[in-house]
Amino acid sequence: MSIERFAGALLLLLGVAAHPLPAQNAAEVDKGRQLFLGMCSRCHGAEGGGGEGPSLNRSLTRATDDQALRTIIQEGIPDRGMPRTRRLSNGELSAMAAYVRSLGRHAEVAGQGNAEKGKAVYQRLGCASCHVIAGQGGILGPELTNIGVRRAPGYLRQAILDPAAVLPRGGTDVPGRGFNEYLPVRIVTREGREVNGLRVNEDSFSIQVRDAGSQLYSFQKADLQKLDKEFGKSLMPDYKTRAADADLDDLVAYLASLGGAK
Amino acid sequence: MRIERLRAWICAGVCLALSGGAVMAQVPYRRIAGAESDPSTWVTYSGNYQAQRFSLLDQINRQNVAQLKPTWMYQMRHPGIVETSPIVVDGVMYLTEPPSTATALDVRTGRPLWTYTPKIPSDVIVIGSPPVNRGVAVLDDLVFFGTVNCHLIALDAKTGIVRWDTMVDDNKKGYYVTSAPLAIDGRIIIGISGAETGIRGFLDAYDPKTGKRLWRTYTVPAPGEPGRETWGGDSWQHGGGSTWVTGSYDPDLHLLYWGTGNPGPDWNDDVRPGDNLYTCSLLAIDPANGKIKWHFQFTPHDVHDWDATEIPVLFDAEVQGRRRKVVSMANRNGFYYLLDRATGEFLTAVPYVKQNWTDGLDAKGRPFARRDADPKAEGTLVYPAITGSANWYSPSYSPKTRLFYHAARQMAGIYFKGDAEYKDGTAYTGGGGDTKNGDEASGAILAWEASSGKLRWEFKLLTPPWAGLLSTAGGLVFGGTEEGNFFALDAENGKPLWQLQLGGRVAANPVSFAIDGKQQVAIAAGSSLFVFGLP
Repeated sequence: MSIERFAGALLLLLGVAAHPLPAQNAAEVDKGRQLFLGMCSRCHGAEGGGGEGPSLNRSLTRATDDQALRTIIQEGIPDRGMPRTRRLSNGELSAMAAYVRSLGRHAEVAGQGNAEKGKAVYQRLGCASCHVIAGQGGILGPELTNIGVRRAPGYLRQAILDPAAVLPRGGTDVPGRGFNEYLPVRIVTREGREVNGLRVNEDSFSIQVRDAGSQLYSFQKADLQKLDKEFGKSLMPDYKTRAADADLDDLVAYLASLGGAK
Repeated sequence: MRIERLRAWICAGVCLALSGGAVMAQVPYRRIAGAESDPSTWVTYSGNYQAQRFSLLDQINRQNVAQLKPTWMYQMRHPGIVETSPIVVDGVMYLTEPPSTATALDVRTGRPLWTYTPKIPSDVIVIGSPPVNRGVAVLDDLVFFGTVNCHLIALDAKTGIVRWDTMVDDNKKGYYVTSAPLAIDGRIIIGISGAETGIRGFLDAYDPKTGKRLWRTYTVPAPGEPGRETWGGDSWQHGGGSTWVTGSYDPDLHLLYWGTGNPGPDWNDDVRPGDNLYTCSLLAIDPANGKIKWHFQFTPHDVHDWDATEIPVLFDAEVQGRRRKVVSMANRNGFYYLLDRATGEFLTAVPYVKQNWTDGLDAKGRPFARRDADPKAEGTLVYPAITGSANWYSPSYSPKTRLFYHAARQMAGIYFKGDAEYKDGTAYTGGGGDTKNGDEASGAILAWEASSGKLRWEFKLLTPPWAGLLSTAGGLVFGGTEEGNFFALDAENGKPLWQLQLGGRVAANPVSFAIDGKQQVAIAAGSSLFVFGLP
């Protein structure tokens, strides 16, 4: 069953009337879909199901009305890593907004896991040794306080199973938009001292690194014998074999609930 | 001095000024044309008319550059990106601040002498770039600069008082000015921005004394003019072809060299079949009357926004066995070009970054453009990115090393084709783009033999740069990074010799001059201007 048909069935089960779209609007939505595929799907998923960016087929808390939605499409949400779009014509902007709104008409597909149980899994697996939620936890990995509104469940699952496959791309000023965050680096100084850690920031002449013990280092690149940026690696262990499937579902449901996401 | 004698002196000065302005003139044309004879000044945007951005000063050199210290700093009064390239002459630095302020500073201390901000309407239209300003021009006793509402203003160099204020064109249609004017003998040349709003581009010349327009040369031909056949239908009316980076000038050949911007709409080419002359071209123009003596189009029928508004650098060299007067350009489309500047003859071109939009160039320099690199609704991945492998910021040519230094942007873009509807003063772009930034992009300072394009050395940068270069007789190349490093490399081999973190993005061109006989190097970073010298 495709997601759409599944959603349709769910709508019927829930007794929600699916409003058929007027023809004129349907053409607009179709045009918006094409624009969305080109510019938005990389983060928000092909059908707005989310990925590195949040899913959009849910109630959009920031885009409460059409004007807010158009503003977000145009200006992005810089502090969340969403760039502004290219300059869209009014027609294109309307089409894009119409498409995003049409996503909102799908019913939300409930995850299979149980968030309450997931919280216990989070504690049992020791996730808090490297991640902060609501001020509590270790700082080696990304903060997860609002992760449910930033990432879609599918992305979270992937990040747990195979963290190295997708490092988060920076959306903030440090280390800079588009840079891989939490990038492992291996450094050997000219004196032969070895440092392994995560890149905190970098410019053409220097690099700042934090190691597993939270020690901060700053190096001039000219003083290094070796600087390996280990793209495709992560300091986080993968949980392919460390967690049972059911636990994983629960954990994803828990993370997806963080930050007020429903 | 007694009051009576003082009065007599003032009277004598005023009388002299009234009787013949030229006698009092601070910066006559011949002083700009002979810029090399006084390297303690920086009298025109690129340092000299050849646009080499090279300083003959050699006090700061390979041996002592590591000792550079700040002489003073100046903080801009308004927020915004600072792309200014200062002019320094007779103890005064003239610079612009974003978006349209001109300021004079005491070059010894950095203390302001005057500042002037014209009234800019709150509904000013600036589409296609941030509201930046790249600097002033000076000629005789006047300072000239352009504004975001598309005026050209002449200020008294001593006081900042307005001598004249001329509207170049209608900002309501999207015309605006970001570039520094070029002052030549009896002419102020000014280019315009706005090719993202469907303007019809032009280059203007004004009388320095009165602000009266002397000529206008459109970069897009009207019906009856040569080149009209390169535009389908009425598309020429909104054909773009802006002129937003200061050109160069050969006083002997009596020719101006000026690059032109993209055709409109940028990424949706449906309405404009043909080569779209004279967009993405270099124009050689007779400054007496504005006539186009020759043209060379780098990117015919551009669909990637690869303006040819880079600096045309002039030098003489032996190219392919023959002595030539050359004009060169590190173009935004990824190629370095050499043309004969007397005739416009194409000599050679070499790619200096990864590119995938053309299967090379023919014998006349025309690209075999790949149509599968055209923008599409779903996006097309193309090297270089929309911002190009080069942009407005300046390269440098050193007559000492005969190397051409360029800050190269190595980045792919995703090009989208979208709707294009013309309406006065609104975006007429027909699409747009995204860039593969972050760890997927990089930059480099490249040094190649100016006469052939053969790479001599490369200094890698973390990210694509947005700052120009300065080479000096001290054997140095100065440049800046997106992350705020201001640095000096060895001009012979690219070895880094000094760098300082300035705490803000460097998006400006360096200049060099002397204060009381001591060489200085200046650069803007973040919202500040920094001047460095030896202790």
